[in-house]
Formats: sequence, C-alpha cells, structure tokens
Amino acid sequence: MIEVKGVTKIYGKKDNAFKALSDVSFTIPDGASVAILGKSGSGKSTLMHVMSGLDRPQSGQVIIDGKDILKLKTKEVDKFRSRKMSFIFQSFFVQANESCYNNVSLPLEIADVSASRRRTRVDASLKAVELFDKKKAKARELSGGQKQRLAVARAIVNSPKILFADEPTGNLDSVTGAVIENLLFNYHKRFNVTLVLVTHDSDLSERCDIQIHIKDGVIDSIKRKKL
Amino acid sequence: MKIQSIVIRAGRSLKQAKSRTVLTSLAIAVGAFTITLSLAAGTGGRDYTDKIVKSNTDAQELVVSVQPPKSQQGPQKYSSSTGGAVISTALGSTEVLTQNDINRIQKVADVVSVTPNYNPQIQYITRPGQDKYVASIGTFSPSVTLTYAAGSANGGLADNEIILTEDYVKALGFSSDQAAIGGTVSIVAEKLSAPISAPESQTFSYKVKAVSSTSGLAFRSQSSLLISDNSAKTLYDYINTGTRNFNHFEVVSVEVNNANNAQTVKNTLTSMGYQAQTAADILGAVNTFINVLQGILLGFGALAILTSIFGIINTQYISVLERTQQIGLMKALGMRRRDVGRLFKLEAAWIGFLGGAIGSGLAYLVGTLSNPLISKALNLGDVRLLIFRPVSIAVVVVGLVLVSVASGILPARKAAKLNPIDALRTE
Repeated sequence: MIEVKGVTKIYGKKDNAFKALSDVSFTIPDGASVAILGKSGSGKSTLMHVMSGLDRPQSGQVIIDGKDILKLKTKEVDKFRSRKMSFIFQSFFVQANESCYNNVSLPLEIADVSASRRRTRVDASLKAVELFDKKKAKARELSGGQKQRLAVARAIVNSPKILFADEPTGNLDSVTGAVIENLLFNYHKRFNVTLVLVTHDSDLSERCDIQIHIKDGVIDSIKRKKL
Repeated sequence: MKIQSIVIRAGRSLKQAKSRTVLTSLAIAVGAFTITLSLAAGTGGRDYTDKIVKSNTDAQELVVSVQPPKSQQGPQKYSSSTGGAVISTALGSTEVLTQNDINRIQKVADVVSVTPNYNPQIQYITRPGQDKYVASIGTFSPSVTLTYAAGSANGGLADNEIILTEDYVKALGFSSDQAAIGGTVSIVAEKLSAPISAPESQTFSYKVKAVSSTSGLAFRSQSSLLISDNSAKTLYDYINTGTRNFNHFEVVSVEVNNANNAQTVKNTLTSMGYQAQTAADILGAVNTFINVLQGILLGFGALAILTSIFGIINTQYISVLERTQQIGLMKALGMRRRDVGRLFKLEAAWIGFLGGAIGSGLAYLVGTLSNPLISKALNLGDVRLLIFRPVSIAVVVVGLVLVSVASGILPARKAAKLNPIDALRTE
C-alpha cells in the first residue's frame, strides 16, 4: 500500500517560489493500477518523483509498506528503489551505445545480483518483450517502439513491486503505443504489481483502477473504478 | 553495486568514446614516455659509471693532490711553504706535491705505497720503417680491469714491456693484434733541460706484451699506451731532470692496505692539508651529475603529466555533461552516489592506465631499439645506456593510474551530486 499524506513541494525560493504540490493526500492499495492525470505543469510528474523518493517535498509523508520513505537516508532510499521500484519514461532513456542485454542488466548490477542469475533474468525479461533476438544489438539500432519495449524489459527485470511509467506512450504512434500499453497491463495483472501511470491520454487512464486528476498542484478529483 | 561491474561499465563507456579516450591518454603517454626513459637512462647511466669506476680505479687507491686554498679570489699569495712548488698552467697555478710530501704521506698508517703520477710527455712512438705517432703514456696498474684483444698483462708487466691499443697496432703497421705481441716499438723522448741549440733525445725500446681492446668502460685503454711504473719513472726522469718542475707532481696515487681503510686514510690526509679522493668519491661525483640530468628529465615528464591532468579533468567534465541523462537514469534505478562517483573515477583510472601502458611501452620499444645505436654513436662497445627495470615501469603505470583517479575526483563528484530529476529532464 502506498499512502501519500499532506505532501507539499515548493520549487524556488522566496519571490520565485512555486508551489508544485499543495497538501496532496491519497491512498493506493497494493496491486492497483493508478493513472495520474493533468495538464503539463500541473504537478503530476512531481507527484511521481515524490512517491518514488527521487524528490523530497518540504512537508508530508509517503508511506510504502508501512515505512515513510521520506524519513530514510538517501542511501536507503536508493536501496529501496533498486529493490522495489522501476521506471519507464516518455523518452525511453535507454543507453544507445550499450547492447540490449547490458541495458536490461543495469538494474540487476545495481542491486548486486550475481552474474549467473543476471543472465537468466535478463534473458527472460527480453523474451517477455519479444526482443530476445536483439540481445546483442546496440540500443541505437532499435526503432522507437522497440526502445520502449527495451525500457519495459529493464523495468520488469528486477521484479518490482511498483512500476512507475511517465507518459510511456507519449512518443509512440498509436499501434506501437498499444503494444506497450498491453505489455504494462498484462505484467501488472499477472504479477499483481502496482502500476502508477502519469499520462494525459484518457484512453490509457480509463484502463486504470484509480484515476487521480491534478490541477495546479492540488487534487481535483479521485475516481475509483467499481470492481 | 559490485566494483567489478563498475570497472566493466567504465571500460565499456570509454570504448564507446574511443578517439576521445585515446587522445586524452596520449597526453599522459607523453609524460609516461619521458619518465620511463629518464628512469631507464638514470639506471643505465649509474650502472655505466659504476662499471667505469670499477674498471678504472681501485678501491684501495686514493688520488691525492694539494688542497686548494679555501675561497681563493684572484692571484694566490706567495708564501715560503709554497716554496716555488707551483705549476702554472693556462687554468691557473696549482700547488704541487714534492718528495717531502710523498715522504709524509708514506708515513701515514695503513698506506702501502705512494706513486707519483709520472705521465711522461714523450715526442713520438714508432717502429722501423713506419711513421711517427704522438702518444700519451700511462702507467699500468694490476688492480684495474682491462680487456685484451690479444695477449694479456694479468701476470704483470715487466719494465721493458708495453701494452698497445688496437689503434696503434694498426698505425704501427702490424698485420693483426696477435702479430703485434712480442714485436718491438720505440719511444723517443726529448730532454727538456737541454739547450735549444743542442737538443738531446733518446730512444727507448719496448716489447709488446698485450693489446688492449676498445671498451666502453675504460678511459685509459682508448688513448693511453701503458708501461710499468718503473719505466714511466725512467722516461720521466730523462725528460724532466734539470727542469724547474722536476719531481713536482700534481697528483700522486696512494695505495692503502685495505679498501675499508681508504676513508680513514682520506680523513688523515685531509687533516694534513691534502685533497684525497677515493674510488667511492669519484663514483659519487659522476653519479651526482647523472642524478641531476635525470632529475631534469623527470621534471619534464612531470610537467607533461601535470598538463595531462587538466586534460583528464576536462574530458571527464565533458563526459559527465554528455551523460547527464544516463547518470539520472542510474540514480533513478537506485545506483548509489558513491557508485556513480566510482564509475567516473574508474574511467579516469582506465585513461591513466592506457596512457601509462602506451607511454612506457613505447619508451621500452624505442629504448631497446636505440640502445645499440647509442652505444655505437658514443663508442661504448657492448654497454647498454638505457636499462629498463620492470619495477620502475610498474611504478610509472600504477603512479599514473593513481594520478588519473585523483584528477577524476572533481568530475566524479559532480556526477555523484547530480539531482536525478534534473538529470532526467535534460533532453
């Protein structure tokens, strides 16, 4: 379970201060899919960063599995992220010069997984996104859709509990976007992973259990799908 | 993150920026090249002088002259103790040693013998039916190692015998070094005290005992023909009897009974007003010169390294800027600050290692190839002037890796401090 309580994040100082998030609170049960919706500049990306411990708000709590990650030391938050979370970004952020294999292997190396276990898990992950035949190819040789699939492989390789996706289909055409969408939702359902999507795509958000609308740093509305 | 994974990733990202990596490490290679060569030259040079001194001097021998007056400025004052025992040369006047001094030195404890440096100035050397050649005559010392092309004087040199050099064998018309052994040569000396109107000269004949070969190690064998002490004295006496400087010597050799006593005898002689040099002193003086030269070369190397440090810092800063996004991603994936810093420090280490390996490898190659050429150009025979020790090469490479890591610290810190969110926003 993820509990966000009274989170306020201010960028800049004094006269230039800008309130990106203002007293935001909500709860996400384990294994839910959540869409964070809003226009650009509404604070939805900031919210994702705060929830993943990448950014530290001025006040509030983010409690994941009973632990307030904002109270942890940087080192411990890093460890927490490397064990339990994963990210997918709008512009992929795959390492163009590295092979597909080494791109996917990175999170496991960070988490100190042994070389032999890395091999089996990377292979399994590449197979799951149907990129196993590109194992040795450099990431720069891939198409946009393939790059995002590679990013998905990298995100699922360490079996995360929470998967954050920031506009995962934003840079893709509708066909390849749909492939990524299906990959994410299938993974979410199959492994009961909490999926947090930041998007302004209403089609994508409608597939989610919870829709959180953000406007100017405050929660506009929270819709929960009746099960 | 395991250090092994970081090392591999660091190596890979350098491989992806090949030209930049190679260029940066070439800057270090220049320094490594200079330092490795100067270390090799220092080792070789010291080894060479060590051999020279060992084969030309004797640990039991002291070279003694009169102590020059301290802080002498301008012409020297006449005093009765100088007693006219002064040899004036173009370089100034030198106080000399007389028979009195020799007797005094002879009485010092542990001194076995005192031999004046006769150095007789002959007119020429010749052989029946051959041209006349000028020559410098030295005295043979059984304790100095000589290499022989033919014959040998290891059993001693009789008073009517001479050791020729290969050059003179050829000049005096012998068919070979071996053919010269047993042959007779004549030395003609002029009596200096004879009046100009009636010059007087005498021919001295010697049997060739041995032929010394040109060696890179020996000073004397290259130029001087060697005769025994007694023969030298005979020549000297004939030439100089009746002149002002007769039996006045600039230098005498003092033989002590044991090499370990050389220093004590030196101290005694110094307190008596003489200047004495042991074999160790001579070696020390020559080595000081080599050390200074090596120091200068090392300085140039260090300067090159200093320059390359800025190269590394610059390259690594650019690398951090270029890979902001990658750093952001790694941090988002939970990579620790320390590991991000390490990644960049290790990249710097790789650059240093590469530069050190290229530089010292090239130096080794160039040095090994040019060793025979240098020896040939300087007429050193089989002596190698550049000696590469694996230890010093290893020290150079390891040292450069450490220097590179140190210069990678600032860029690595910048990388470690990057805020992942800002880093990921960079498109």
